[in-house]
Amino acid sequence: MLSRRDFLKLVVKGAVLGNFSQLITPPLAKAVAAGEVHKLPVVMIETGTCTGDSISLDNIWTPTFSDILTNILDWRYDWIMNQVQGQEAYGILQETYEKMPHEYILIVQGSMIQRDNGHYNHVGYENGKLITGIELVRRIGLKAKYVVAIGSCATYGGPVSGYPNPTQSTGVQNILPERRVINVSGCPAHPDWIVGTLLHLALYGEPELEKFGRPKLFYGETVHNRCPRRRFYDQGIFATAIGQKECLFRIGCKGPVTYSDCPIRRWNDRYNWPIGCNTPCIGCTEPGYPDLMSPFTSHFPDIPFPGGTKVNTDSFGLGVLGLTSVAITGHVVTSLYKGRIQKNLLKTSAKTNHRPALKKAQAFHKYWLKKTNKI
Amino acid sequence: MKHSVKLRKPLLKQLKADNLKGRIIQSQPIWVRIFHWGFAISLVVIISTGLQLHKPAHFLALNFSKVLVAHIVFSWFALGFLVLRFTDALIRKDDSLIPKIRDLKHFPKLMAYYFFLRSSPPPARKYNSGQLLIYFSWFLVFLLASFLGLASYWQGEHLIWVWHLVGGFQMIRWIKFIISIYFLATIPVHIYLSLTEDISRLQAMVTGYERKPPMKNESKNFPRIK
Repeated sequence: MLSRRDFLKLVVKGAVLGNFSQLITPPLAKAVAAGEVHKLPVVMIETGTCTGDSISLDNIWTPTFSDILTNILDWRYDWIMNQVQGQEAYGILQETYEKMPHEYILIVQGSMIQRDNGHYNHVGYENGKLITGIELVRRIGLKAKYVVAIGSCATYGGPVSGYPNPTQSTGVQNILPERRVINVSGCPAHPDWIVGTLLHLALYGEPELEKFGRPKLFYGETVHNRCPRRRFYDQGIFATAIGQKECLFRIGCKGPVTYSDCPIRRWNDRYNWPIGCNTPCIGCTEPGYPDLMSPFTSHFPDIPFPGGTKVNTDSFGLGVLGLTSVAITGHVVTSLYKGRIQKNLLKTSAKTNHRPALKKAQAFHKYWLKKTNKI
Repeated sequence: MKHSVKLRKPLLKQLKADNLKGRIIQSQPIWVRIFHWGFAISLVVIISTGLQLHKPAHFLALNFSKVLVAHIVFSWFALGFLVLRFTDALIRKDDSLIPKIRDLKHFPKLMAYYFFLRSSPPPARKYNSGQLLIYFSWFLVFLLASFLGLASYWQGEHLIWVWHLVGGFQMIRWIKFIISIYFLATIPVHIYLSLTEDISRLQAMVTGYERKPPMKNESKNFPRIK
């Protein structure tokens, strides 16, 4: 079987060559066939989501998603992939929960909707009662071997929890504080990040996590540090509009504050990525996305004021400085009018009690002839 | 016709001293002056490079690595000057920069003075309540900005709790920007008031000496230079 070191090497190699899944699958399939690795039972619960992460996962090019399902993982419950429906499908989830406690991996896709005890998000029907997303995730999550949140919504709330967050949505970690949740963030999460994390769990257990609970092997470095346009930044050469080939920092690129390996892994079978098509990174893997990252063409988020008005941070800064300038100018004018400045300067700058008086001493006179009209 | 009379230096000094307005006292020790100007220069570099890093100017094609290095180096300088001032205050047992309740009680009167509702400012210690509030807040927000700067410099390798507390890189960046706006809004007020309220205090920040009004019951022949 692959050692962990070899696995990590494949993660990087796969990112550079764009065939991570292709590289990892043969040794893994061999290990599964030899009985060295048990196929991981996986259940996926979708809560407040657009199902974008499932679609992203389907985009694994080689091997196909069906190869992964057949050879590597025991994908037991997933709304998108289920061959059955209704109680029959839900029965599989219940069976996994009851018969395989602390063996299965729970994948959660979508944000946790908390408003009115989660009744805006029903995900099951049990004994004549609707089951809410938070209830099911808590129940299944407490008995799971690992809990993996995929996508921005499940990890940190994502777009569903955007201002003013009417559904009081949040990430999985907040409703499962007893468990350590592995966050695979992104809007959507890259298929390699999802499969890579699952494989690491299957082969070596929990990967090393960074500050916000994301696997370091995918989220260890900022986009900015690995960006192919970094040289433009270092030289101070910036694009002034979307579509230009220089560094996109000035038009709001969030690469400097976003942790992911997009620059080397890229998207759609390594075909392209946002900066590659001359649009700024929008920071979709970071906590606080999208509120803290929007407007996408500006560095700082807008500041919300009561009444729903939002003000751009830069405009706010300029407004404060403008106000200060107006206040100082007004004070100068009033002080001059009232004589305060003159008084203060005289009081604090006169060096002596008796100022020497100057008397004009005229030493000599000059006389000039008046011009007169000659008659 | 110009007549020049040569007087002996001690006599000239005595004559000048007799004619001087008020007393001249040492107001700002050397370490305070070093801190003030060192911190001021560092802060100018930090804020200007920070703004350049935040939003690169059209007309400047600067090497950004060097701008970042300048930003970080001058931040360390500023912290060094701050430590210097703090140590000096500890050695001299100087609490003139710490606002106290009795100082703050004068704040409304001071505001009344600045809004031309009073003709003179209320009595104060070395610094008035407005100065105390601004200077003390500068220390606090500068330390906060430096701390956040350190957290972002380490990129989440250390001080992870700060990232959790604040909510991520973007928030750290946002708070630092707001702090720089605070500095940019208050520094001009400081400069304006120091130029127009008591110019001898500004002089004290260069020479160390300040002119004060004469003490009551002060004899004419009492030596005034201390």
